[in-house]
Amino acid sequence: MKRILFALLLTFILAAPALSKVSVGQPAPDFTLTDSNGKSRSLSEFKGKIVVLEWNNPECPFVGKHYGSGNMQRQQADATAAGVIWLTINSSATGKQGDIDGAAANAYIAKVGAKQSAYLLDPTGRVGHLYGARTTPHMFVIDKAGVLRYMGGIDSIKSTDQDDIAKATQYIPQVLAELGAGKPVSVATAEPYGCGVKYGS
Amino acid sequence: MRLLLALLLVVLPPLAVADDEHVTVSLLSEYAALVPGKTAWLGLFLQHEPHWHTYWINPGDSGLPTKITWQLPPGYRAGDIGWPAPLRIDVGDLQNFGYEGEVLLPVPIDVPADAKPGTTVHIGAQAKYLVCREECIPGKTDLVLDLPLSAVREAASKQFETARAQLPQATTWKGDARLHDDKIEVALRGADLPPISDAYVVDRKIVNYARPQISTNNGTVTLLFAKSDYFTTAPPQLDLVVRAGARAWSVRVPFSSSP
Repeated sequence: MKRILFALLLTFILAAPALSKVSVGQPAPDFTLTDSNGKSRSLSEFKGKIVVLEWNNPECPFVGKHYGSGNMQRQQADATAAGVIWLTINSSATGKQGDIDGAAANAYIAKVGAKQSAYLLDPTGRVGHLYGARTTPHMFVIDKAGVLRYMGGIDSIKSTDQDDIAKATQYIPQVLAELGAGKPVSVATAEPYGCGVKYGS
Repeated sequence: MRLLLALLLVVLPPLAVADDEHVTVSLLSEYAALVPGKTAWLGLFLQHEPHWHTYWINPGDSGLPTKITWQLPPGYRAGDIGWPAPLRIDVGDLQNFGYEGEVLLPVPIDVPADAKPGTTVHIGAQAKYLVCREECIPGKTDLVLDLPLSAVREAASKQFETARAQLPQATTWKGDARLHDDKIEVALRGADLPPISDAYVVDRKIVNYARPQISTNNGTVTLLFAKSDYFTTAPPQLDLVVRAGARAWSVRVPFSSSP
């Protein structure tokens, strides 16, 4: 009993982690950000569609692994062709690595042949914190009812080697296929890996 | 110590050292020769530029642990990397565990009993690592060492004594880990518990990487961690490294399923 009281007391003292906690099975929180074309976009505008969130930093070698190999672009193209909305989000703080404006984001998209629905700019890190985005890449999948169904790493082998992509389980196509077939999501969370998101200090 | 290292480098072939961006990586041997039937200690020596770091076995919220792939002759076997106690690297909302400055990662190599004194052993090691300050740069280096086999053990490199002192010390402390809602509480009991200032969990996907709340009550030290967002099921046991200032200890506690 004393142990429980003690733990309860500490629960109030212990500071909550600074990144918010979203949970699989819970509604994904709404947000509004400006895209690379200067247009305001909200998660809620895509209700009724499956939405993939992809945290991005063009200068991170882990992002480079998945774009340099064409893996990310292929997954974006396959998903959007099937009616899925793919939102790439950049939460690098102003002046930190990866921080880009709309024009630079569009140049990056053209250069790598990216196929997302929109590239959203989050320089204050507000949405990154809301979702608890900690690495680039870091992935989330939201179903048509707005419920979070996957969060975590892009695949199962934590490395910067492009050779590992073919050997790894790619979680996003797997989740999308299971959602499309009405099956339970077999892997709902996987530890994300990558560079830390460059939040402001 | 630097003179000894310089002497070692004169003896070693150039491929034993690689000066990658921001970290110099080299392969060191504790002794100048290998002895048949005796475990030899080799080590990956990392010299970081100021403010740059590489990662511990559990890198924390981001990053990658350093990995070594060995090329050894038949009959030789490499053990696991001995990880010196890491530093906590606080990047605001994100936490990492790793190393700055100079660190040696020792690895035991089993030398077969029938190895022939007077011959030379060719050992290869490919080191993969991520060196970061704010930005991160992946590194991959191929290192080699050609070491003579000798019946006699010769003078040791002081570098390894320092590394051994930085490895967490084994303990006989008792304790357990329990899950309470979204917290993980580790209790440690022992007459000789030091004033623990920080703790790092080796297992990934168990705890949130923020510093735990540490309290002492009647000879029991309690470490209260928030649960990881990626926690799925409790493992049978939890491995931690606890620190009191410059000293560190490794602890293994069973994970108790009852609240």
